[in-house]
This record gives sequence, C-alpha cells and structure tokens, in this order.
Amino acid sequence: MRWCLALLLCGFLAAVNALSSSGSRLLVVLDESTDQSAYSTLWSDLKGRGYDVSFESPKSDKLSLFKHGARAYDHLLILPPKSKGLGPSLTPKNILDFLNKDGNILLALSGRAATSSAISSLLLEVDIQLSNDRSSVVVDHFNYDTVSSAEKHDVLLLQRPGPLRPDVKAFFNGEGVVALPRVAPQTLGSESNLVSPILRAPATAYAYNPKEEMPAPEDIEATGSQLNIVSAMQARNSARFTVLGSVEALEDQWFSASVQAPGGKKTTTVNREFAKQLTAWAFKETGVLKVEKIEHHLATDGEVAPENLNPKIYRIKNETVFNIEVSEYSYDKWVPFEVPGNDELQLEFTMLSPFHRLALKPVGRTETSTIYSTKFTTPDQHGIFSFRINYKRPFFTNIEEKHEVTVRHFAHDEYPRSWDISAGWVWIAGLWSVIGGFLAFVLVWLYSAPATDKLKKTQ
Amino acid sequence: MAQSSPLDIVLKGSSGQSTRGLLRIIILLTIAAAAVASRLFSVIRFESIIHEFDPWFNFRATKYLVQNGFYSFWDWFDDRTWHPLGRVTGGTLYPGLMVTSGVIYHILRFLTIPVDIRNVCVLLAPGFSGLTALAMYLLTCEMSTSPSAGLLAAAFMGIAPGYISRSVAGSYDNEAIAIFLLVFTFFLWIKAVKNGSIMWGALTALFYGYMVSAWGGYVFITNLIPLHVFVLLCMGRYSSRVYISYTTWYALGTLGSMQIPFVGFLPIRNSDHMSALGVFGLIQLVAFAEFVRGFLPGKQFQKLLTAMVLLTFGLGFGGLVLLSVSGIIAPWSGRFYSLWDTGYAKIHIPIIASVSEHQPTAWPAFFFDLNFLIWLFPAGVFMCFQKLKDEHVFVIIYAVLASYFAGVMVRLMLTLTPIVCVAAALALSSILDSFLTMGRPDPEALANAGAEDSKTLRSTSKPVVGIYSFFSKLTVSASVTVYLLLFVSHCTWVTSNAYSSPSVVLASRLPDGSQHIIDDYREAYYWLRQNTPDNAKIMSWWDYGYQIGGMADRPTLVDNNTWNNTHIATVGKAMSSREEVSYPILRQHDVDYVLVVFGGLLGYSGDDLNKFLWMVRIAEGIWPDEVKERDFFTSRGEYRVDDEATPTMRNSLMYKMSYYNYQSLFPAGQAVDRVRGSRVPAESPQLNTLEEAFTSENWIIRIFKVKDLDNFGRDHSNAVSFDKGLKRKRAAKKKGPRVLRTE
Repeated sequence: MRWCLALLLCGFLAAVNALSSSGSRLLVVLDESTDQSAYSTLWSDLKGRGYDVSFESPKSDKLSLFKHGARAYDHLLILPPKSKGLGPSLTPKNILDFLNKDGNILLALSGRAATSSAISSLLLEVDIQLSNDRSSVVVDHFNYDTVSSAEKHDVLLLQRPGPLRPDVKAFFNGEGVVALPRVAPQTLGSESNLVSPILRAPATAYAYNPKEEMPAPEDIEATGSQLNIVSAMQARNSARFTVLGSVEALEDQWFSASVQAPGGKKTTTVNREFAKQLTAWAFKETGVLKVEKIEHHLATDGEVAPENLNPKIYRIKNETVFNIEVSEYSYDKWVPFEVPGNDELQLEFTMLSPFHRLALKPVGRTETSTIYSTKFTTPDQHGIFSFRINYKRPFFTNIEEKHEVTVRHFAHDEYPRSWDISAGWVWIAGLWSVIGGFLAFVLVWLYSAPATDKLKKTQ
Repeated sequence: MAQSSPLDIVLKGSSGQSTRGLLRIIILLTIAAAAVASRLFSVIRFESIIHEFDPWFNFRATKYLVQNGFYSFWDWFDDRTWHPLGRVTGGTLYPGLMVTSGVIYHILRFLTIPVDIRNVCVLLAPGFSGLTALAMYLLTCEMSTSPSAGLLAAAFMGIAPGYISRSVAGSYDNEAIAIFLLVFTFFLWIKAVKNGSIMWGALTALFYGYMVSAWGGYVFITNLIPLHVFVLLCMGRYSSRVYISYTTWYALGTLGSMQIPFVGFLPIRNSDHMSALGVFGLIQLVAFAEFVRGFLPGKQFQKLLTAMVLLTFGLGFGGLVLLSVSGIIAPWSGRFYSLWDTGYAKIHIPIIASVSEHQPTAWPAFFFDLNFLIWLFPAGVFMCFQKLKDEHVFVIIYAVLASYFAGVMVRLMLTLTPIVCVAAALALSSILDSFLTMGRPDPEALANAGAEDSKTLRSTSKPVVGIYSFFSKLTVSASVTVYLLLFVSHCTWVTSNAYSSPSVVLASRLPDGSQHIIDDYREAYYWLRQNTPDNAKIMSWWDYGYQIGGMADRPTLVDNNTWNNTHIATVGKAMSSREEVSYPILRQHDVDYVLVVFGGLLGYSGDDLNKFLWMVRIAEGIWPDEVKERDFFTSRGEYRVDDEATPTMRNSLMYKMSYYNYQSLFPAGQAVDRVRGSRVPAESPQLNTLEEAFTSENWIIRIFKVKDLDNFGRDHSNAVSFDKGLKRKRAAKKKGPRVLRTE
C-alpha cells in the first residue's frame, strides 16, 4: 500500500516537473526520409524542457492521435511531409478533433516544395490561407541574408516581433535577428477573430513562385506585411494551432548560423531562442491564464462568513462585491497575472444585455495569482443575471466565465415601514384620528343616555 | 287527504320533522358522495396524476408552499420560469388554492395521517365539489319554499358536466375551489339581503375575500352584486336591508381583496371594479335622499333630488373619463373587451385568441354540458318573475349575464352552470310539487261551491280532473324520472368519456378493444429530468411551459402564465425564422434545448405545426417587418407542409425541427404527415445550429440541443458540411477591392 502511494506521489512529481501546463506528451510527425538529426538541438531543447518526445511517420499504421477515444498525445509537431498528404490518421477532421479535445499543434511548412492540398484545406477551415499555387516563397530584397542567399534573396533576416497591439503582451520579443529561409507565406482571413499573426513579413517583402513567371498585378493577393511568416489560431477552447512558414528555421544549422543583412554587420542568429519562445507558446508554456477562484458576496465590513459566499440569490439594489483570482503560467510556474498595457479585465452583470460593465481593479496578490475586484449595486431589475468575464486577447488563453445568480424583488417585509416615510405621516395621522374619533364617539354615545325620565315627567 | 299512508307516521308531526331533517342530511351526504365518486374516473382509469397544463403550475407552487412555508411562498421569486426575466410568482398568482391544499395537508399531518401532497392536490377538486353541492342546496333553499328544490339543485350541481369539466380528480385548478366559493358567497349575499344583517354581510365579504384569493373570476361577483343592488334601486326597492348588506360587503370585501398582492390596488383603479364603487356611491346618495325625504316637503325634495342626480352623474362621469384618459384608472383589459366583442381578440390580441377555451361556445356544448337542465332553465327563470322577491331578481340577473358570457367564451360555461342548476331545480321542484304532493281538493267542499254557481264553466262541474288525477301524476312523475335517469347516465357518460382524460397521457384503443396508453409527454419530460443539467434552459411554445416546469423541473423561457407578450413573441420569432436569425436569439436567452411537439407520425392534431400560425401571428405583432404571416401561405393562400410549402415555411426552425429525419421512417419519397394528410418532401431538412437530442416513442415530442459556437469560429453551416466531408471551396473572388485584415 505504501509503495503504491509513493508511486502515486512520484507520478504527481513527474506531473509537476512537466513544463507545459497541459501535459508533456509530444508527438513529432515527420517523414522517414527527413533527417531527424537535422533538428537534434530542437529535440534536445524540448526534452530538456520536460517533453516526452516521440516520433512517428505520417504513413505509419501505428500513428493514431486518439486512444480509447481520448487524446494519445498532448501536443503535435508536424513537419512538412514530402508526400502529397499527411496520411490516413492525420486527416483534417482528425486534426480538428485533436484541437477540439484541447490538443495543441505546431505545423511547420516549407517553401521548398508545394504544400499539400490537405494541409491547405485544413488551414482554410481555421481561416488561414496559403497562396493560390501553394508553392510561393517570401522574398525580400532589403532584409535577406547576403551569406546564404545572395542571389535568391529568400532567406529573410528579421527582428523578433514586439507586442501585436498595445493591449497584448509580447511573448516573442527580444534582441537579435532570426533567419527564416524559404518561407511559405500565409494570409489571415478577415472573418475569423481567432487567428492572429505572430511574425509578419516586412513591408518590402512579397510572395513569388520561383518556378513561374511573375504574376500579373491583379492576381497578387497580398504583399508586404499582409504576408505572415508565423501565424496562430487559438480556438475557443484555447487549443493552439500554430503555423510556422519555414521549417528550416528550426534546423540545427540555422540555430547559430552567422548571417549578414545587406549593409549590416555579421551576426549570429537567435533562432534557438525564437524556437524556444515559439514552441513554448504553441505548447502552452506561456500565455496560459487560469481562474483560481471566483467569489461574490454582499458588501460587508470585515470578513465574510463562508456560508455567505457566492449566494445564489441577491436582491435588487444590493451592494455586491465580486472578486476573481487569475494566474498566468510562465514556463514552469504559475505567477500573478498582470493585465498588459492599458488593457482592462472587465466584469459584466448581464441579463440579455449587460446592465453593468465594470473594470476589475487589482486589489491584492497571492504567490501565484492576482486578485481583481470590483464593487457595484445590483440594478433595479429582477431577473436571472450572470456575472460574466469574457477576456479574450491574442496569445492569452480565453477567460470565459459565467456565473448565474438570481436577483429577486423586495420581499414584503423589506420595504420601509410606513412611519419611516415622513410623507406618510399625514395619512397615518388621518387614519388614527378617524379611529380615535370613532372610539370617542362610541364612548360618548354609550355614556350619554338620553334623559328619558325628565321627558316622561314633563309629559 | 283522507287516507293516511304508513309513511305519514314518519313524515308528519314533530317526529316527522326530525326524521325529514335526518333524511335530508342523508340525501345531501349521498349527493356529495356521488359528486366526489363520479369525478374519480380519471384516477381509476389512469392514475393519481395532475392533469393538463395550469394544474401543473399550481401543483408546483403548492409543493413550494409546503416545503418553504407561507412567507417565502408570499415572496417567491421564481427563477425557473420566464428565463431570464424570472417571475414574481408570489405576487402574481391567486394563492387561495395552494394555501387551501397546504392547510389541508398540514391538518392531515397533524392528525398523523401520512399523505402525499400530490394526493391532496389530486383529490381537492372532487372534495370541494361535494361542498359545492351543499352550498347549492343552501342557495336554492333561499329561493324557494319547496324543500325538494334545494335537494334537486344539489344533485344537479353534483353531477352537471359543465362543472365536472373543471373539477375531475387531478384537475387541480383555481376553479376547483372557486365555484364552491362563488356559490357560497352568493348564498351568503342572499342571506344578507334578506336579513339586512351586518353579520351576513361580513360573512359575504369574508368569503368574497377567499374567492378573490382563489380565482380571477371573482370579478364576476364584484360586478354581479352591485348590479343586483343597482337593479333593486331602480325598481324602487331601496331598503335599509340592502344598504346595510351592500355597504358592509363592499367596505370589508374591498379591503379584503386588496390584501392579495396580485390584486393590490386594482379594486380602486381598474375599470372592471368601477361598477362596485359607483353603486357604493349611489347607494349613499339614495340613502341620503331617503333621509332628507323625511324632513322636507315633497316639492322641494323633488327639486333637490333632480339637482343632486344631475350633479352627481355629471361629476361622476366627468371624473371617470378624466381618470381613464389620464391613466390613473387602468384601461379595460383585453380579456374584458373580448367579452363584449367576440371578434376583438382575433384582431388585436392573438395571444388571447390562441387559447381554445377563449373561443366562443358552439351551441351543442350547452346541451352537452347541461343536458335537460338547459330547457328547464328558462322555465325556472320565468318562475322567478312570478315571485320576484329580491333574491329572485338576483337569479334573473345572474341568469341573463351568465348566459351571455357562456355564449362568448367556452370556459365561462362554468359560471353559468350554478344558476342553471338553481333555475332548473326551481322549475322541476315546482312540477314535482304540483303533481306529487298537491292534495286532492275536498270533493264535498267543491260540490258545495259548485252548487252555488253551477253552469258557469264545464270544468268546474267536474273539478277533480287534470292534475289531480292519478294518471296525470303517474305520467308526469314517470317522465320526470326518465329525464332524471337520462340526465344521470348522460352526465356519467360525458364525465367518463370527455372530461376524465389527463391530457398528459393519451389513451387510444387497440383493434381488440383494449386500452393503449401513449405516454410520450412524460417519457420526454423524464428524459429531460434525467439527462440534462439542472439548469438547462428549455425553449418550447408556451403551452408546455408549466408541464416542463412541473414534470421535467427545468427552467423554461415562456409558460402558460402569459404575462409577457414580448417574450412569447421572441420565442415565436425564434421558431418561425431561419436558423441564422434564430440562433442569436437562442444564444442570447441561454437556451440549451428546444422542445417541439410533432403529431405527424401518430396523427395527433394538437401539435406545434398546427399551432404554428399563432406563433407567427404573435411574433408578427412585435416584429411586423421580420415575420410575416403571408409568407407562410402559398400563393393560393394554402397552409402547406409538402413540396409546395413556401421557402419561408421550409426554412423556419419549427418546420425543420418537426420534419428533421422524419423521412428516414419511410421508404424513400413515401413520408406522410398523418395530421395534415400530406406527403412530406423527400429530403430531410438540414439543421446546422441544433442537433437532435431525443425523440419520443411516437415522435410526439422531439428535443433538440442547441450547439455551442463553433470551436474554430466557423459558420455552423460550414462546420456541418466539413463534418460531412465536403471540401470547402476557397472563397470565390469577389468583385471590388479585397477586404484586408486590419490589426
């Protein structure tokens, strides 16, 4: 029994050591023909970060993303296959199912060969589009590596990206240049708001198929920074699907190659750091938010008794306090979450439409989380309301919380008593004077018997 | 009568008095027992179950009352109906019924009789119908000196189908106790008018208050009693008796009725109550005039009276108009208008018109519900004219009003039944009295009388003829007996065949004559109860709201308490629009499941597609631009569901849900809808935003689950076609500049 417990404890420890917030089983899908050793630094980096890396060929019979209906792996890294498709067990449907079950995917493309149509239609489902002929390469005559592609200009040298918007945290920034050879460009559709660019091509870049003539200007779909080199789709269940345009950027030789931009100095690339940032984000080591606790209660002075926490029912015009504890996962631990930039974490108090939309202010922090809080008065409308937090930002997992509470009307004994309302005193006085007058009248009536005797006597 | 029968020893003299009293009690108890017994068909045939729709809410409310006590029932905010608005249930219901059964339950508990609250509720209506029979006896005894009239009326009331229709076991509705209260209040009122006693007036007010707490139909009493007084005043029958009884009743009764939260200040603000207030004012004026008359000479009094009448009338009318226009007095409610103009509801308030019990009555219904009472009724009313005491005036007014109302609305047959029983009993008892107990005139005395003026009329020469003969007595009593027997058998037949079906369970006959129970409703409701989260919101048409709340115990969007027309119209819009329009509505209202009733497989005609036009009409009332009734009819004006159905019809959510996968039951192209008798399109409609969750055995109830938003932000139609394995085409090149993503 004791060893059993010990084993269990070991299991927990292993789980604690695992770095990603959502499991450590990583499957790398790569062709048998691909040289596995070309990426050895990447594999060792991943293993060093606690991943349990296994390799499988897309055509293998053993390859299955699911076992007994549950995910067999937590993360998937797909390198571009040489063959036409990804094989029978990696159909677009299976891959979307894998995402539906909270698995994360990093898909690497290559501009060397045409991308398969299966991948293209898969990407289309998540509103990421490849170029029409699926074999274009991004070329830039201003930001290329003069050492390796002096002629073709298809090895881009780029700075790591800063924050996408002022209200978004930068997960991929840092010093140094990243070399991205032979990038298959992606463009993002304008319909989905789940996709976001991680790394865009510079304004001077364009996509071009080396095997064909230059397309006519009206056929060009996107140029410059409309082309994405790395794009990401975070599904509504926060499963991450990352597309990297250049698989070669992950190769050992580019991890510390020395490159030179036109008119610049010779430098070493920071591909290794960028690959770490990218895989860490893609496999949920960064940018993962967790709601530790949600508490709401009536506003009181001092401590709230546990039985008064999170009541199911409030009354209209109650002063109410709402607290939420949020943590963020950063590589290997949970840290307090800080809302980036000038952004706000907002609380909505909603019935059909929001009656309140309030900014939650940080009021304290624990070792692993920040406590955000706000205080408000429930509206003068009874109904079934919900506390809603809908915090969806690029690169952060979604916080979507909905807690239903009932807001009831005043009970019959909760109205102010009549004598508390000074305007009612007139009526109260009138009421009691009538009662008093009636009683007085009855008394007078009863005790003033007519002097019958006298009358009789006179008669 | 010269000969004395052996019965005379029992029936005459002082011992006869008490024997007759005992007999009368025994007869009344037998009548009450018969009234209870004939209402138990449904329990014996089916089981001890709550019937229909409204009773399910009353039952649920009673359970809440018993579990949580009176005060929390009083302040009950129900968050499981009308999601997400909720309902201030404690303040918007008539608590009389629930409180009555709660009290009975607690008394039985106190007497250590362990009884389930459900059985109290199921048997409350039969129990109270026994009391109604007794109250009927008392009321009729006030009208007639004949002792048989009361007993006959009690017997009629006990088994008349018009009343049984609302009071079989399991029909746990407000009417169950309200009819007893109605009859008893009227009895007390007659007593009060007869005696001019404050005590009887106060008792009337007390039971009137009870009635107000029990049924919205109390307005009938509120208007009938003032009308009675008004007619008496117009007939010049003002007396201190009328003054005392009316003022006592009005003052105490109004105060009492205002204690019910749902009624609140209506008695002084609502137009329906204004006649009582007006008569109250009038009777003060009349009393004052009577008082003044004693002090003034005739001529001056005449002038004063005319001036006073004109002044008050002018002031009162002007004030009423002013208050109505300024909105202090609430305008007449829609139900009230539809009482006067049967076409009003159809044009203005579809939600009232859509209820079948608000339809005008078909004439066979009168015979069906009242049998031979209906032709005795005019005779009884005529006999009231003959005596025309104060109480007979009441019967006449009641008869006229109730006849009219019963003709306008089917459900008001219920208020007609008591007065029909009174009048019919008066008529029948007078027939029976004339023929059975009228003594044969003494032949000698007649002969003496005849000797004085012989040769005047031929009939007087031979006086012992006609009704005095044994033959005519035999004929009349035999035919009356036959009519009574027919009445009893008719009542029993109607009760057993028409009014004892719980409508939650449908019964049908198999070819071999055995009974087959179709239990789809409960099957579906229990599925919901056991397979969905506790607060899964169910959207259905409002008819099923109470049942879902009662049997499935799940929150609903709308229910039979149709207090919010807009909310109902929202559901109607969701049902009658395309999926793209409905889905945001479903999301906004947190709907998890949609329930529809579909009778196509079984030929069950009360299904949602047959009610669909009401949904469309109610939705059109709020969104005339988005939902149009015309679009659901073909160009030839037909309401069709087959291949020729209009696109709007075929794309509506209700149509899709009803016929989803229905074709799979039949060989290709052979799918038939047995209710509408038409062939259904060969291909099943496609549902993108809903998925089928449950379909009951006979397909009567179909439940669909509302899908969540797509995980990858796609359209539901795209996601569904992807799941079906269809390849998605790249967005075709649009004309004009490309829409670029900005970030």
